[in-house]
Amino acid sequence: MLPQSKTVPVMLGLGALVLAALPLFVPGYYVELGSYAFIAAMLALSLQLLVGCTGLVSLGHAAFYGLAAYTVYLVTGNGAGRSIFVTLPAAVAVAALAALLVGSLSLRTRGFFFLMVTLAFGQMVFFLFHDTKLGGGTDGAFLARPVLSIFDWQLPLTRRQRPIAVYYVALALLVAMYLGLVVLMRSMFGRVLEGIRVNEHRMSALGFNTYRYKLAAFVIAGALAGVAGHMWAMHRGFVNPELIGWHRSAEALLMILLGGLTTLHGPIIGALAYTGLGEVAQLITERKLLVEGLVILFVVLVLPKGLSGISLPRRSRKPAPKTPPVGAAEARPHG
Amino acid sequence: MADKMADGRPSTQPVLATRGLTRHFGGLIAVREVSVALHQGELHAVIGPNGAGKTTLVNLLSGEIRPTAGYIELDGRAVAGEPAWRLARLGVGRSFQRTNIFAPLTVLENVRLAAQAVDRSQRNPLRHAKHGTGLVDKAQAALARAGLTGVETRVAGTLSHGEQRQLEIAMTLAGSPKVLLLDEPLAGMGPEESERMTALLKGLAREHAVLLIEHDMDFVFAVADWMTVMAEGGVIAQGRPEAIRANTAVQQAYLGSHA
Repeated sequence: MLPQSKTVPVMLGLGALVLAALPLFVPGYYVELGSYAFIAAMLALSLQLLVGCTGLVSLGHAAFYGLAAYTVYLVTGNGAGRSIFVTLPAAVAVAALAALLVGSLSLRTRGFFFLMVTLAFGQMVFFLFHDTKLGGGTDGAFLARPVLSIFDWQLPLTRRQRPIAVYYVALALLVAMYLGLVVLMRSMFGRVLEGIRVNEHRMSALGFNTYRYKLAAFVIAGALAGVAGHMWAMHRGFVNPELIGWHRSAEALLMILLGGLTTLHGPIIGALAYTGLGEVAQLITERKLLVEGLVILFVVLVLPKGLSGISLPRRSRKPAPKTPPVGAAEARPHG
Repeated sequence: MADKMADGRPSTQPVLATRGLTRHFGGLIAVREVSVALHQGELHAVIGPNGAGKTTLVNLLSGEIRPTAGYIELDGRAVAGEPAWRLARLGVGRSFQRTNIFAPLTVLENVRLAAQAVDRSQRNPLRHAKHGTGLVDKAQAALARAGLTGVETRVAGTLSHGEQRQLEIAMTLAGSPKVLLLDEPLAGMGPEESERMTALLKGLAREHAVLLIEHDMDFVFAVADWMTVMAEGGVIAQGRPEAIRANTAVQQAYLGSHA
C-alpha cells in the first residue's frame, strides 16, 4: 500500500510541483479540467481506503460525495457564497454522518452482499434528491460557490482568477488527503485495516473487533469523499442527482483499477489518466466510451498492478536483499 | 504440587470448563453434551476418529461458532455466545488446523498484529506502528519462544510448512493467552520439526491450560496429562493416558489395532 522505494515519493513530489505550476502556462479550460481531475482523484483516493486498503468493495461511495455537494447547496441557499470554512466542515460532517449510518448497517454483510447493500443505499440517496424538491429535483440546482474568506475578510479574486484559486485549493486538499492516508496506513490503525484485507477471519481470532475498524474506515472514507463532493460544488457551482448515482461510484472504482489497487497513489494516477483519456477520446472520436473502455481493458489485462505498477528499468546494482513488500522497516534487527 | 483430587488432577478451579456443550448443524449433532475442564499447567488432549467433533469443539471454545446449548465458563465467568474477538481478549488463544496466517505480510508483522490485538494500554491508534512500544518486543519474544528466529523480515507466505506452523504458535503466544487451543499443531510436519514442536508444547503446558487435538497417538500419549476421547460428537471416555489406553470402549471405538 505504501511506496517501497525512494523513487515513488520523488516522482509524486515532482508531479505535484508540475501540477502546481501548470496554471501559469495553460489556458483556462485546462485549469478547470485539472480541478475536475483533482476532485475525481479525491473521490477515488477516498474509495481506495475501502477497496485497496481494507478489502471492502463499495458501489455506494458516490452517495457521500453527492450528499456533501448538496450540503453546500442547502447551506448556501440562494444567497451569497459562504466561507469555505463553513461549507467544507458542514459538507464533511454530513458525509461522515451518512457514512456512519450506512456503514453501521451495510458492514454487517460481507463480500457480494456488501456490494449490493451499499449499491442499494446509494440509490436510496439518489432517489431522495431525484424525486423530491429538496435539491431542485431531477434537474439539479445552481448554488452560490463557497468563497475563500475568513471572518469578514475575503480573498479578492477577479472572475478569471477564481477557477485558478479553486484549482489550488483542490490540489492542496488532494495532497493533504494523500499524505494523511499515508500516515494513517503506517499507523497501528492502518495495520489493522491491512490485516483485515488479507485475512479478516484471522484478525477476529486474534482479538480484533473487525466490525469497529471497518466502520471507522468507512466513516473516514465517507468524510473524505465529502471533501471531494464539496470541491465539486465549489468548482461547478451546480449540483444534480447524477453526482450521487452508482455510475459515479463505478467510475471511481474504474479509476482505482486503472491506477492500481495496491498503492495509495494509484487512484490519483488513475483519475488523472481517466480524465485525460476522456478528453483525448472526445477529440478523436464520437465514441468516447468505447475508446475509454478499450483502453481500460487493455491496461487491466496488461498491467495487473495498474498504471502505478509501471516501474522504470533499473540500472543493475548489487543484488538488493529480499525486501518484504509491506511494513517491514522495523523488522531489520541490525540496521 | 498443589492439592490433588482422587483422580490425580489439581483441585483448583478450572481455567476453562464446559457443561453439556452441544452444537447442531441442521439435523447433524456435531458436538453432543460435552463437558471438559482445562486446568492451569495441564495438557489436555482431545482425540477421536475423523468427524468426532473435535474441531467443532475448539470452534465453540474459541467463539468461532455459537453453541446450540450448554455452558462455557472462563475463570468462572459464563462466556458462551461471546464473539471470537472478545474471547481472544479474555485470554483464549487458538491455532488453526490449516495454517491461518497473513501470508503477504512479514513474519514480524504477523506476530506484532497478534500482540496489538489484545493490547490493553490506551495507545493512540494513529501512532506509527514502528513506535508501538512494547508490541515489537512482545512479538520478538513470542517468535523466540516458538523457536522461530532470524526470519522476522521474511514474507510469511515464503516460510516452509513447519515454520508456518511455528508462526501460528508464535501468533497465539503473542496474545498472552491463559488458555491455548491447539488444533493439530503437528499436521504435516517432518520428524525433526515434530520433535522441536513436542518440546515446545511440553514447555507451554507448564504455563498455560492447553487443549490439544492431535492424531499422532504416540505423541499424544507421550505428552498428555489428561485425555478426552470423542466419537460421533459425544465424549466416550475421560481420564489419564494410562486409563484411556486400558479402556475397552475406547479401544473398540477408536484405537482398534493400535492399542
